[in-house]
Amino acid sequence: MAVIHRHAPEVRIAGGKMPPISLPTNCPGCGVALEPEQLRKQVYVCDCGHHFRMGADGWIQLIADKASWQERWGDIRSHDLLNWKVPKPYQETVEQLTAEGLNEAVRTGSCTLAGHRIWFATFDFRFVGGTLSIVAGERLARGMEAAAATKTPYVLVSASGGARMQEGVLALMQMAKVNAAVGRLHSAHVPYFSVLTDPTFGGTAASLALLADINIAEPGAAIGFTGPRVIKQATYADLPPGFQSADFQLARGQVDMVVPRTEVRKLLAHLLEMYA
Amino acid sequence: MTDDATLTVWQLVELARNSMRPYSIDYLQRLVPDFVELHGDRLSGDDPALVAGVGTWHGRTTMLFGHQKGRSLKERVSRNWGMMHPEGYRKAIRLAHHAAKFGFPIVSLIDTPGAYPGAAAEERGIAAAIADAIMEWFRIPVPIVAAVIGEGGSGGALGMGVADRVIMLENSIYSVASPEAAASIVWRDNSRKVEAAEQLQLTSRDLLAMGVVEEIVAEPRGGAHVDFDAAAAALDEALYRNLQPLLSEPVDQLLQHRYERFRYIDSLVGAEPHFGPKID
Repeated sequence: MAVIHRHAPEVRIAGGKMPPISLPTNCPGCGVALEPEQLRKQVYVCDCGHHFRMGADGWIQLIADKASWQERWGDIRSHDLLNWKVPKPYQETVEQLTAEGLNEAVRTGSCTLAGHRIWFATFDFRFVGGTLSIVAGERLARGMEAAAATKTPYVLVSASGGARMQEGVLALMQMAKVNAAVGRLHSAHVPYFSVLTDPTFGGTAASLALLADINIAEPGAAIGFTGPRVIKQATYADLPPGFQSADFQLARGQVDMVVPRTEVRKLLAHLLEMYA
Repeated sequence: MTDDATLTVWQLVELARNSMRPYSIDYLQRLVPDFVELHGDRLSGDDPALVAGVGTWHGRTTMLFGHQKGRSLKERVSRNWGMMHPEGYRKAIRLAHHAAKFGFPIVSLIDTPGAYPGAAAEERGIAAAIADAIMEWFRIPVPIVAAVIGEGGSGGALGMGVADRVIMLENSIYSVASPEAAASIVWRDNSRKVEAAEQLQLTSRDLLAMGVVEEIVAEPRGGAHVDFDAAAAALDEALYRNLQPLLSEPVDQLLQHRYERFRYIDSLVGAEPHFGPKID
């Protein structure tokens, strides 16, 4: 894995300036007071290597060439199918997040990356923990079907707690819906690259995120099926430090590489050059 | 049939988990008396939480799978309470390809709280094992029918539940997460499982109404545990009736229908704009 030097050079963002994210005062990695403007130029990677969680808007800026992003199916909406009331009505949760400017847990569209046409989808952890919902599954499946039909490489960025409880068994079924589409992508011999960011768990890890031709993890990202809290509740086991980290998954053969965010665009451009 | 109007959702959950209910092996003994069990994923191990093998069913060699929970404490430990490790999903897919090679149809009985939520499963790649299984089921060119016979818990159940027809026993449940896990996720407190169960809509009636399963199989009066033979006969009849039309379907059409079954599984929910099959 590449070493990140102190005061890493500004990362050139093809699509323009990174959107702001909410940041703590000090870095949880090194404890140093954060300079938000500097950090923004470094795609929210601290000099110490700590990667802050970035939303879908940030990832679109990072991945898509300037003015190339064409978002699709942004108008499909979640519904409160189960009349979910506790601890908070689901409809209220969705309305509040939408009012904050977020648009579901997955956004998708087509764009170019270093001139290569791709289909791109990115999770947004800020929207109900990036949970796989009907809308998320629908956007993912439609994008994959379009990519397969047009033989366009597919790039995914994941950050998700798994399936969305508030949509019940239909959220679970999204794993099958999406994986059916992943199968079509593979059958069409379309390259699929997956960037796993912190955290990628549950139904998202157990569906599309680990099924790419090349799985790329961000340093320090937690990746697994069952979250550490549930493992502890279920088995009373104390998990060693680094359990389910990106390096843990690399050592166990689940990801091809661990690559810092500052390098991922360059890497994807290189891969697209080789695979396209 | 049980009069489930008098049962609360939580009582139904407990009934679905009742250790006196018939388990997969109880059904397999009745459906396929000549069953030959097959073991191992050919990579690293076997998973006793999933029973797999071949038997003659309605005159036809058939590949059958079933989660096995175990009734005595000793058996439960050896079966890991029906919670599969990665080896189980890999065994299932190995044998699904085996079935396809010989043209055997596949029957899958689902009865699991979920995949094993422990460190050993994580270390051996449970997420990728489930992911791969779900994707592979869509490519298996023989008919697949699945039945939830007790508990259909989460991705661990779905990993064995991609089929051309999915049916449920009347007193079984199928859920995005166990009520305990859902409570743990939503409230960080798994003792609120009863509230979670009430929200999740996990009963066979809920699933049929949502269009996630094709049919509910009526259980003997009082529940499947009252009369194993009658429960097995009802399951046998329903599974075979669902399998029959698939046996004559051309493979391309079979796989296309399986794809569409899951691709548009949520199209009944009336989301706007409509999610239906037409894509621009």
